[in-house]
Order: sequence, then structure tokens, then C-alpha cells
Amino acid sequence: MPEGLLQAEDVTVRFGGVVALDSVDLEVPSGQIVGLIGPNGAGKTTLFNVLSGVIEPNGGRVLLGGTDVTRWPTHRRGRAGIARTFQRLELFDRLTVYDNLLAAWEGVTPGAVLGRHKSEGRARVAEVIESLDLGALATRLAGTLPTGQARLVELARAIVTAPRVLLLDEPSSGLDDVETSWFAQVLGQVAGARDGEPAVLLVEHDMSLVMEVCAEITVLDFGQRIAHGPPEQIRNDPRVIEAYLGAEIEPEGSAIEPEGAIAP
Amino acid sequence: MSSLWPFFVIGLFSGSVYALASMGIVLTYRTSGVFNFAYGAVAMFCAFTYWQFRDGWHLPEWISLLLVLLVVAPVVGFVSDRLYRPLVGVSTEVQIVVSLGILAFFEAGVPLAFGGRTRAIQSIFPISTFGVGSILRVSWAQLATFLLTAILALGLYVLLRHTRFGMASRAVIDNRDLAGLLGVNATAVGRTSWVISSVFAGLVGILLSPSQGLQVYVLVTVVIYAFAPAVLGRLVSLPLAYAGGMGLGVLQSVLQRWGASGTVADIEAAFPYLALFVLLVVYGKRLTEVRSGVKPVIGASVMSPLLMSRQKLLTSGGLVALGLFALPVLLRGPDLGDVTAGLIYAAIALTLVVLVGWAGQISLAQFSFVGIGAFMAGHFAGAHGSNFLWAALLAAAIAVPVGLLVGLPSLRLSGLYLALATMAFALLMDNLVFPRTDVSGGYTGMSVPRPRIFGISFASTTSFYELCVVLLVLFGVAALAVQRSAVGRRLKMMRDSPLAASTFGVNLTTTKLVVFALAGAAAAFAGAFDGAWHLTVSPSNYTFAQSLELLLLVVLGGRSLVAGALLAGFTYTTQLLPIPTEIEKFIPITIALGVVSVAAVPEGSVALTVKQFWAALDNFRRLPGSPMPAALALDARGANGAQLERGANGAQLQRGANGAQLQHGAQQHQGANSAGSDGRDGAAVYPAAALSGRGGESPLGGVAGGVAGSVAGDGSPVEELVATTRGGGGGGDA
Ligand SMILES: Nc1ncnc2c1ncn2[C@@H]1O[C@H](COP(=O)(O)OP(=O)(O)O)[C@@H](O)[C@H]1O
Ligand SMILES: [Mg+2]
Repeated sequence: MPEGLLQAEDVTVRFGGVVALDSVDLEVPSGQIVGLIGPNGAGKTTLFNVLSGVIEPNGGRVLLGGTDVTRWPTHRRGRAGIARTFQRLELFDRLTVYDNLLAAWEGVTPGAVLGRHKSEGRARVAEVIESLDLGALATRLAGTLPTGQARLVELARAIVTAPRVLLLDEPSSGLDDVETSWFAQVLGQVAGARDGEPAVLLVEHDMSLVMEVCAEITVLDFGQRIAHGPPEQIRNDPRVIEAYLGAEIEPEGSAIEPEGAIAP
Repeated sequence: MSSLWPFFVIGLFSGSVYALASMGIVLTYRTSGVFNFAYGAVAMFCAFTYWQFRDGWHLPEWISLLLVLLVVAPVVGFVSDRLYRPLVGVSTEVQIVVSLGILAFFEAGVPLAFGGRTRAIQSIFPISTFGVGSILRVSWAQLATFLLTAILALGLYVLLRHTRFGMASRAVIDNRDLAGLLGVNATAVGRTSWVISSVFAGLVGILLSPSQGLQVYVLVTVVIYAFAPAVLGRLVSLPLAYAGGMGLGVLQSVLQRWGASGTVADIEAAFPYLALFVLLVVYGKRLTEVRSGVKPVIGASVMSPLLMSRQKLLTSGGLVALGLFALPVLLRGPDLGDVTAGLIYAAIALTLVVLVGWAGQISLAQFSFVGIGAFMAGHFAGAHGSNFLWAALLAAAIAVPVGLLVGLPSLRLSGLYLALATMAFALLMDNLVFPRTDVSGGYTGMSVPRPRIFGISFASTTSFYELCVVLLVLFGVAALAVQRSAVGRRLKMMRDSPLAASTFGVNLTTTKLVVFALAGAAAAFAGAFDGAWHLTVSPSNYTFAQSLELLLLVVLGGRSLVAGALLAGFTYTTQLLPIPTEIEKFIPITIALGVVSVAAVPEGSVALTVKQFWAALDNFRRLPGSPMPAALALDARGANGAQLERGANGAQLQRGANGAQLQHGAQQHQGANSAGSDGRDGAAVYPAAALSGRGGESPLGGVAGGVAGSVAGDGSPVEELVATTRGGGGGGDA
């Protein structure tokens, strides 16, 4: 097994009495899109928070490219190449879309806050805006965007920092079918195995999307990792089927419908 | 030890009133998520009405009491509920500003309604005393207060533990959204809480005034004592609030044992603020805000994001500067002096724009830094002000560590708790630092010379005025540079989403500390000039009250804009200029109402001005045969498009209800315009126009707009005011 670019080892998180994560392991190898699925409350967002440094785990380690980053503050991890989106949108509402991207780029680029590398930053922002076709939104205030566009801008904002790993937390929630398929298309375009493209950890309720784009899938339930493997294997895993009680998993793999999912 | 217990017992009596107030504050915070900064003001208002009934109109005491507690206070509670309810789910910043605006409303309104003079009020309980043991004499009033509070606390406890209302209110606290689904009527719970809380406030006012004197400011400040016990219960626990209030009273009283004057007495007076500050820092991240799960909606008005082009900006900025330099041709003597004060005020306001408007860190202590500057200038500027510049720079340097100290709580606190911490800090400066003779010259104050810089004296009114124009221009240019730079974007990242900011590499700790330190340093630098303007300064020039006023004026002007600070300076000046009293006395209350109504609009009155400009242009374009500049038309369409889409995606909870939204508000423009032309003085009209114009857009629109309408005297019904549809147009950001 290749060493993961981003790894969680034995991560445990407790909130009072609730064990949100129970000795969870996870690897995101470079060049891959890894899926992270599980019912609501399984601990997916919590794991994201541990990986990006928003919360410190009660136990376990986080490794980035083999370096132990468990004690690193969030901003340091951001500069080291971990970018993410948020389940509850966290755009800079009163900045324009353009400035959202520029600010993120400046945030992770050393010296940029002092006004260095100005043209480089603007070029990078322009590039991403063009590749995600956001030109029409560039001067809009982010807080005024409808959910579909806002999710896309969050993706663009993460991409613009040229991250090594990209963590996407339910990027298609609140999107309609058309938007979702557009999103999948964009995702395939910006992430993957090509040089300079980030590895991706994708939390997603839309099973068809996950099955389509992910090489490997990790399944969480009640804070525990209950399965791990390629899509076909996950689809037929009895424990996974049980975790999604009441949902159908067809071998051809169209849909699992946990709460809140959008039926295709 | 034997000599301590009398102090202990006495403390229980004063503690009772604190406990009562704390419970009142906690009660509404639990259910509505709004911290009522105006609590003391409500108490004060009720005390004044009580005086009016009993001493003014000579009603029997018990009738006066019943009228206040069963009619006046509940009505205030009812109105408060209506006013605050739309704020559930709005950003904390807006809630704080509204609450502070209402505080200002009472402070301005009570003197208008009752006259400003201090008056004596009689205790409702007999003040004759009886002996306890050999050394202590207790009055019946004290005993009655203690018992009454205990009974009320117990009653509240039973109400919340054993009734349907209690169950419902706990459900609302646990999860407002879920409670709604379970059929709990959150609205009714909120209303009841506000009414009970308000009745408690009435009692607090009536119980405290006999000993404190019936004065507008005193009660308001004394009730701030109750904030510490409220925070002790993390703003949700009533038993802890009660215990904390009692404890505070006792501790304060016991401190008296060691000295009725000197340092101990200062500490005793400042103790509640110290307790508040320490509690906030110690609790730190464990303090969570009661919030609805609904994500706060973006401020009701969204200016066009397009910044003015650099060229336009330079032109308009240059014009303003030129105009200011030319002003002495028209204006002389004291009037020019008043304008000078406005310039300095605008410079100070700019520091708050950076801190609050851009970095999102609410501070109620900015005038403490101004004070540092003024007193440092007094100490070090030299007899003829020849060292003035050095003194100002030294003040700025000293303000840096002080700024770090204020910034420190911001690392662990945000929103409401940060506002409370800065407030406590300002009050500590007021009580412990500034009164010291070696700091400020004590209550008689100290003199500050006019500056002499590079051998040039700026002692004359005109030359000092010109120097202050230079100061403001420097501050303005610096602020504009920051606004457009990566630094400005970094601050706004932190303001809009600290979580995302840190994810994208922003070190929140450093950023917050730096912005507090620099904003403090800049305020102190400007403070030296403020001192020189006054010529003689005393601690009373730099109190929490001034910090509060500054925040309100900046909010009114537009907290996210450089132009907002200029407008704050302008509004401040109008209070100084010699204008007829009939107008002048209504300025504070107009400001307060203006603040309440633009609270949700970061661009404040500037947004309104820009909007009116576009509206006027729009009307102009509708005239048959008038030329339509293509570029402008395009701009305006863009703004409209943005508005409509926002309405459509349903983010605007309150707005959705107003169908009138989407139709063009022609009448509204006329209303606002006529308010403008009626007014004799631009600034006096500003807030009024702001109120009427903004009615539909702020969450408070309905109520505040209505009130404003009557104050502004333009009499347009609220429905018309609601019909504001225009975005900011392609106007400027500066
Ligand atoms: N900040 C928090 N405080 C307390 N409990 C939390 C917090 N964040 C998450 N939890 C709990 O941890 C569990 C996992 O939540 P989460 O990671 O959000 O799940 P998912 O993203 O898989 O839906 C849930 O039981 C949730 O209630
Ligand atoms: Mg989640």
C-alpha cells in the first residue's frame, strides 16, 4: 500500500460523553480521490476538523507527507497544502467572489500579505476563475450567491491555493441534479492524478457521485471505520448495507439514500 | 473576624438588587439570544415614570407602584420583544449594536420626556432601622429588598422548573429550531421572558434609585454591575446569576471594611468590572452564544462591491481635502474650532472602522486609547508644545501593549463576550487608571498645549484646524491603502469567517493582536490632538460613555467605510455647533434611532446616500426625453439584478414577507427626499432620513421605521417605507 499523502492514525475525538471518532484510520494517497461516507452524525465533519486542525483529537496522529502535523495550528496546515470546503458554507460573505479567491491565495502565500507577488496572485485567481467558468460571478458579493454557485466558489477558493490535499465536505448538498453533475464534472477537471493536481477526500451523500469519482471509499458509522476499499467492494459490504438501514444498495450502484440526500 | 460579619450582612442587601438585575438579563438572553445592554436604561426609565406618577402627579404610592410594575414595565417588555424578535438568527454584531442603540435611545429619550435634572426618590419601604446584635443597624427597606428578591428568585425557579412555560423555555434554550418543530411556541416564551425581565428591571430601578439618586447615567452604570454575575452563570443559569449577584454585593461590601477611600475604595468601585473581565477571560472558549441554528443572513443591504476606481477616489478625496483646507475662508473662531473637533473625531472613528468594520472585533474601549494619547500629550508635550509630536508618538507606542492587553481576550472570545470584555476594560480604565493624579492630574485634569512641530506653532485656531486636516488626510489615506491591500482583505476574511480564514493560512492570533494594537496606537496618536483641542483634559473626557458614543456614530455613518468615519465626525460636529436648542435636543435621540435602524447595514447612512443618489438618477431617467447615460443604466441594472436574485433564493427571512419589496419604491424616494429638504441641517436630518429610507431593509424596519417616521415627521405610513428595492448601485466604497 502506498504511503498516504494525508493520513489519520488512530484518531479519537470525544465531545463530553459522545465519542465522535473512535480510533479511526484513514489514508489519502496522492493523485487519488478518496470517498468518506457514512450516515449523519457518523463523524465525517469531525474527522475533517481534525485533519485541518480546527479541533485537536483526544488521541491519535495526523500526518501530511509523512510529517506529524497533529499539533500544528490550522493556519499552518493551510499553508502546508491542506485546503477544504465546509458543509455549512463559510465564504467571506462581504468580499467579492474575486476577492474571496485572492484573499485565500494571499493567505497561504508567504509574504503576500505584505503586498509581494501581487501579479502572480492575480494571474492565479484569473486562471481559476476561467477554468471554473466563474467569470460572470467575479464581482458579486459572495454572501449574495445561491447555494449552488456558493459551493462552486468554495471549491474555487480551495483550488486557487494549489493545495496538496483537498477536503470537500458534502459539496453537493443543496444542489439540484444539474448542478450536481456540473459539480462532478468540475471536480474531475481540477482534481486527480495529473501533475500538480490535489488529492481529494470527498464527503458526500450522493452515492452515485461518490461511486463515480472515487477510487477508494472509507465508511464511518458512529465514529468507527466499518469498511474501506474500492467502490464495488463497498457497495456489497453487508456492514455498510446495515449502516444504511432501510436504504437500498443496488449492485449496479445507483443510489443510497441516507437522510437529506437528493434522489437521482 | 467578628467585625466582618456586619459588612457581610450589608452586602446581602446590595447584592439582592444585583441578583435581581442579573436574573432579568439572563432570562431574556436564554430565550432570545439577545444580551440586553439596555437593561439599566429600562430600570432607569421605570424609576423616572414611578417618580412622575408619585411625585409629579401625586398619585398614591401603591397605585404608582402598580402602574409601573404592571403596566409600564410590561409594555416596555412587550415592545422590546417585538423589537428584538426579528434579531434572532441575525449576526451577533447587529444584535449588540441594536441593544446599544436602544440604550442610547433611553439615555436620550428620558431627559426629553422628564427633563434632565436629578431628583430624589423615596424608598417604597420604610427606611427606619433596627439593631442586629450590638453594632449593626439594618433598615426595613434593606430587609424587605432582600426578602422580596429571594421570593422572586424562588418564584422564578418554580416557574421554570414546574410549569409548562418552564418546559417550553428550556426547550427553546436547548434547541430553538427543534423546539419549534415540537410545537413549542418560541414566540410566546420570548414574550413572557421579556415581560418578566422588564418587570424585574422596573423593581431594580425603584429599589436602587433612593440610594443612587434618580439620574440618567447613574442607574445605567450601576446596573452594569449585574453583568458580572450574569456571566458567572454563563448567561444561562438563573441560580448562578442569583448567587453571583449576592456574592458580588457581599464581596464589594467586605472590601469596604479595609477602607472607604484610597486605592481600596477605587478597587471596590471597580470590582464588578474586574470580576466581569476576569470571568470572561477565565471562561474563555467555554462561553458559547445562544444561537439559532439558522446561519446569520448577510446584512440587509449590500452595496455594490465595485470599489471606486483609483482615479475617481483620488479626485473625490482630493476635493474633500481641498474643501476642508478652504473652509477657514468661510468659517472662523469657535465654529472652526468645533469643526476641528469633528476632524479629530473622524480620525478616531477611522480606527474603529478598521477594528469593527473590517476586522469584525467590536470594541467599547476605543476612547480609553484616545485618553492615553491626551494625557501623554499633557505630560510630555512640553510647555509650548515643542515636543508634541514626540509625545503623540510615545502615546502611540504605549498604546501598543495596552492594545495587546485588550486584544488578549479576543483570542478566546468573540462577538458578545468580546464586546463585554472591552466594556469591562474601558470601565476599569475609567475607575482605576485615569482618575489617578499621576496619570491624568485627577479630576481637575491637566492642560495640554497646542502643538509646535518643526518650529511651527499651531496654537491659533486656524493653524490648528489646518494641522488637523492634515492629520485626517493622513489617517484617511492610510485607511484607504489598507482597505485595498492584502492586509485589508485579511482583516475582512477574519470578520466574515474566522474558520475559513484560519483554514486559508491566516493566523488569527497574530491578526487580532496586531489590529487591536495598531488601532489603539492610532487612536492614541489622534488622542494627543484631541487633548490639544480641549486644552484642558480630565478623565471625564475619555470614559466608556465616549467609547460607546463613538461606536454608535460609526455604526450610523457606516462602519465598513472610510466615508462612514467622516460622517461620524460630521455628526459629532453638529452636536457642538450652535444650533437652536429645539433642534439640538432631538439630535441624540435621532442618532439612537438611526443606529437601531441601520444596525444591519454595514455601510450605514453612506449606503443610504448612495442609494438616494441612484434613486434620484432613476427618477430623472424616467422623465420622458431625458438622456440616459448608457454606462450608468447598465450599472443600475446590475444592482437590481443582484437584489432580485437574493430575494429569490430566500436568504432574507424577514424580507420575503414583504411583497412590496420588488416593486419600485417611488414614494419612498419622495419621502426621503422631502425629509431632506425639510431639514435645516444636513446632519440632523441624516439619521431621520436613514430611518425612513431604510425601513424595509433592516430587520427592525417595521418598528424602527415607524418610530422614525413619526420622529422625522414625514408621516409616511410604514408600508410605503418598506418598499425599498434598490441595491447600492455602482457607487463608491469609500
Ligand atoms: N462541536 C461539537 N460539540 C459536541 N458534539 C459535536 C460537535 N461536533 C460534532 N459533534 C457530535 O459528533 C458527532 C459527529 O458529528 P459530525 O462529525 O458532524 O457528523 P457527520 O459530519 O458525519 O454528519 C455527532 O454526534 C455530533 O453531534
Ligand atoms: Mg457533516
